Amino acid sequence: MNVVFLIAIPLLAAFISILIKKYASYLLVAVGLFNIAVLIFSKNGIVFIGGFDTTISANLLGITLLLDTYTRIALWVVNVLILVIAVLNIKTYRDYGSILLLAMAGLNGLLLTNDLFNLFVFLEISGIAAYLLSTSNKKPVSTFRYLLYGAIGSSLFLFGVVILYSMYGTLNMVVMIREISASNNYTEVILPFILMFIGLGVEAKLLPFNAWVKGVLGNSNVLSGPMIAGVYMAAMSFVLGRLVTNLFVFEGTLLTVVTLILVLGIVVGDLMAFSSSKVREILLFSSIAQSSIIILLFVNGLTIWAVYLIVANALSKTVMFLVINKATAETENDEVDSLKGLFVHNNIVGLTFTLAALSVMGLPLLVGFVIKLNYLTALAGAGQITLIAVILLASLIEGIYLVRLLVKLWYKGEKDLRVEYHFSFKMVFIAIALSLLVFGNYSTPLNELDNSIDTVSEVVNNG
Amino acid sequence: MIQYASIFLFVLGLYGLFINKNVIKLIVSLNVMEIGLFIFIISIGYVGDNAIAPIISNTQDLGLIYVDPLPQALVLTAIVIGVGTTALALAIAKSIYNTYQTFDLDEMEESA
Amino acid sequence: MASIEFLILFLVGAGIIAYLLTKLNTIVGSIFTIFTVMFVFVSLAQYGFGMDIITTVKILPGISFSQSYLGFYFAILIVFIYLMVSFFHPYFIDKYKYKDSYNLLFLLSLAGILGAFYTNNFLNLFFFFEIIIWTTMFLIPQGKSKEAAVSYFGFSLAGSVSLLLGVFVIFNSTGTFNINDSLALLSGNSAVLVFALFLIAAFAKLGAFPLHIWLPITHGNAPDPFSPVLSGALVKLGGFIAVLALIKITPATVMFRAMDIPIGHYLVAILGGLTIVFGTLMAIKEDDAKKLLAYSSMSHGGYILVAFSILNSMAFAGGFYHILAHALASAGAFMAIAAVSRVTGTTKIKELGGMIHKMPITYLAYLIAIISMAGIPPMGGFISKWLIFQAVIDKGMVFVGVAVFFGSVGSFLYVFRPLAALFLGQEFTEYKHVKEAPILMLIPTFVLMGLNIYTGVFPAAFLKVINNIIVELGYTGITYTTYVISGNNGVLNPALISLVFVVGILIAFIIFILLKKSRKVELMDTYTAGNFIHDEHLFHYSTDFYAPLERLYEKQSHWMTTFYRALAEKVKELGKLGKYLFMSKSLSVTLLWIISIIIFLLWGEVL
Repeated sequence: MNVVFLIAIPLLAAFISILIKKYASYLLVAVGLFNIAVLIFSKNGIVFIGGFDTTISANLLGITLLLDTYTRIALWVVNVLILVIAVLNIKTYRDYGSILLLAMAGLNGLLLTNDLFNLFVFLEISGIAAYLLSTSNKKPVSTFRYLLYGAIGSSLFLFGVVILYSMYGTLNMVVMIREISASNNYTEVILPFILMFIGLGVEAKLLPFNAWVKGVLGNSNVLSGPMIAGVYMAAMSFVLGRLVTNLFVFEGTLLTVVTLILVLGIVVGDLMAFSSSKVREILLFSSIAQSSIIILLFVNGLTIWAVYLIVANALSKTVMFLVINKATAETENDEVDSLKGLFVHNNIVGLTFTLAALSVMGLPLLVGFVIKLNYLTALAGAGQITLIAVILLASLIEGIYLVRLLVKLWYKGEKDLRVEYHFSFKMVFIAIALSLLVFGNYSTPLNELDNSIDTVSEVVNNG
Repeated sequence: MIQYASIFLFVLGLYGLFINKNVIKLIVSLNVMEIGLFIFIISIGYVGDNAIAPIISNTQDLGLIYVDPLPQALVLTAIVIGVGTTALALAIAKSIYNTYQTFDLDEMEESA
Repeated sequence: MASIEFLILFLVGAGIIAYLLTKLNTIVGSIFTIFTVMFVFVSLAQYGFGMDIITTVKILPGISFSQSYLGFYFAILIVFIYLMVSFFHPYFIDKYKYKDSYNLLFLLSLAGILGAFYTNNFLNLFFFFEIIIWTTMFLIPQGKSKEAAVSYFGFSLAGSVSLLLGVFVIFNSTGTFNINDSLALLSGNSAVLVFALFLIAAFAKLGAFPLHIWLPITHGNAPDPFSPVLSGALVKLGGFIAVLALIKITPATVMFRAMDIPIGHYLVAILGGLTIVFGTLMAIKEDDAKKLLAYSSMSHGGYILVAFSILNSMAFAGGFYHILAHALASAGAFMAIAAVSRVTGTTKIKELGGMIHKMPITYLAYLIAIISMAGIPPMGGFISKWLIFQAVIDKGMVFVGVAVFFGSVGSFLYVFRPLAALFLGQEFTEYKHVKEAPILMLIPTFVLMGLNIYTGVFPAAFLKVINNIIVELGYTGITYTTYVISGNNGVLNPALISLVFVVGILIAFIIFILLKKSRKVELMDTYTAGNFIHDEHLFHYSTDFYAPLERLYEKQSHWMTTFYRALAEKVKELGKLGKYLFMSKSLSVTLLWIISIIIFLLWGEVL
């Protein structure tokens, strides 16, 4: 089946769902299942839209979509997670069906498209969906800030794209990569690259550009928390990762600056989490650090481990945010101390949360450990001992604050805390925790894929 | 020349975002910045006074220069998206006003 | 034949079964745990000594094993301690909040330990270390304090992180993760770096100065039967890394000609000496019996460091023997305190007294354990300290020599305090009803008593194993016969010394029999100041023995705790600074960052 459906059908359904508001959430589930079917039956390759010439050359017209294993993994993560989150919230957040459909269309387009301007369009569509999702927090000021940051970020991204267009006369990523490597003029592309990097960095939660995160995720709920910390972060990391791996040429000062930004993100992210006393803040700062690590891996060319890290992180953060946001919704207070003893009556939920946290920390028997050890080994092979030292130092801080959090959640405070988790929540938690555990122990399947899942460079070379 | 104007507008918008604390003024600044960007996009396709529109006609047009049509298409899309974002921003601004009875971000600092 | 892979999988499987059994019935689950550990211990003991364990791997992916005398020595010792402690579980497990998981985590951590000592790959080593850390980390908060787990985890993780960084430095310069190959290939600056990083790991796990403050917090607050595991077994992981760093890596640093040891090793010896001194001083001050023993573990960790930093076989023999002797002694002492704490619910010296009347066997176990700790013949601790003293004097290390002797004398001072105040002295009314520990708990008590004495009387059996390790490390073994150990400055005849002791005890016993029997009186059957007494006041004060000495360093004793607390505060403040700089509510700050980054970039290259 044609992967265009992944974008077109959710978009169509989003408009239809406004007309039939009552059934929007059912439509959403149906479209989610449809998307998964499309994913199963579609084939890898480039999709040309608009009936233009199908040779990839400098005067290529029309928008192309690229589906390869990299995109496929990303699409699986995004669509399945949106479906799961939608099903979990089918009763509580009825009105957000259309928005989730819009998010689905935007994120699928973002991941599939091979055209830089199109990328901007989908960035805005998914961005608008995200702003709307964050309105469910009932904190309009945070939402407004998010919108401002998002709009500035995408403007910068567009600025960069337009400069590139004026230099190379194309918007197609593949053609652009060819042209850039042919012209081999590094200094000229610094400005557009840093603009695009910053633009996507705003959405991918990289450090100096992500001040919106605190307001949005710090007040998130069962819908917006996992959507923005799990799904959006995964999708944005995938997109930024693809650009970093293929399009951006990071050399000299640019490489230094980008590495510095990311290292700063890792260290400061974990430091901020360490100094926080609110559960949601701890989680969101920890995910800032994680996303910086992910992009750092992309910058160093470790595509496959970055991809696994994105997936593992999206899964664990989804569990963690769901658990915590459900609890804070009932206690109306997200200080760690007021959630003491949360797991005393919820052993299963506690166990899954603990497993997810252990995976984030990168402790053995969980998939986080396998991934961490592998990317660190790869970094060591590349001689990046300083980066390893920074990552390990950050993981030390991370370990301490997460364990502190876990111990508090497991042991009772002054008052007895009872939070009811619906059966469907528990099922999701168990499924995710089991997958983290299984791949942590049986990691052979992870080794089957390697950096070649990203086929852009292949397309660039072979057409 | 036109490119300098666009950069000026872009920086002006950025400056506006930099100093303003009023929700509506921030939205206006954002728009100014975006307009600067749009003009920049248009200016890429603009090639001089003698260019003609890229329309196939019967007249002999050898030796004439076409205006690049793509940036125009891009800018239309970008404008539409910009309008969409602005509309959403205004809706949120209204919701902010309903909640806090003010547009000034500093006055609602404690509650956000 | 036992395969190490089978043993590990067996432990994991048994852990899950133990979890289910414990869920049904805590006693059944705990007894199952005892038999599981016993099976592992017997298999190891049967095949391990002759290096007959199968190390091929069939199921576990990416893991490889090999056996060495070094690994085996640590493994068998720790499994033994686990076995001893597991006998305590049936009586303690009901006290804990998450009792179902207690046996599971206990067995999982043991699986990690087996793996750690049998693997020949650094990444696997790290893997097993991390398993040990997180499984035990969840056991600790079941005791008194929840924060203890965080402190334990923080320091252990710091150690692991340092170890892992060292491993990657090794990999970067040698291209292999194989433990023996890569350490042999290591040279130059990276050797120095790895040496330092591994030592940080060793110090953190061993609880040596300046990374020691987690020891009292964790040991003191861990569940009672888990403290002996921590002190007798897990701390020894640090000893293992110390061996790797100090003996297997030889960084090309400047030599101290006078002492013939590299300057790096000398620094470690000095830090080891400081560890001994500080541990001793802090133990003298401590009021909680478990914390006191924790500080004593710290100072014994110092001995181990000193021993391994003196590069000769006499010192190595001392170090390895000390690991054995201290594991047995501290397990014995902690288990005695655990037995007391089970019936009284406290480990504070001030709140206890006269337990000897109710728990004479436990008292005896504690007595023998502390004699060994203090290094008095005829216990194991004496042999190891003698060997270490020999080596230190041989090398003419003045400061370290003073420290090791100070530690030895200091041990007399502090180990005696719980004995005097907790076991001896006046009996407390509220503990009138308590009874001696049940028979199942007395089994390990007796075994440990016996071993503490046996290691002191007939060290030859153990020295044989230790000599194997020393030869394996590339040094010549020490000279000894069944009864005599020869050092450079003299010979030691442990059996003879013990004989003298036995004769002395016999004479005392004969006198005791011949002389008139003392009459046992009730507590109230006495008078004071010419009056009968009518209520059971506490008339026997046995705390604050060393108040004048303590006053000398009262103010300084909090320095390290304060330092780490301040460090945590500073980290928090840094985080707050980060929030202030990057998470501000003002859009301008973010814009400023963006603009400065762009300008910085363009400044050099384009503009």
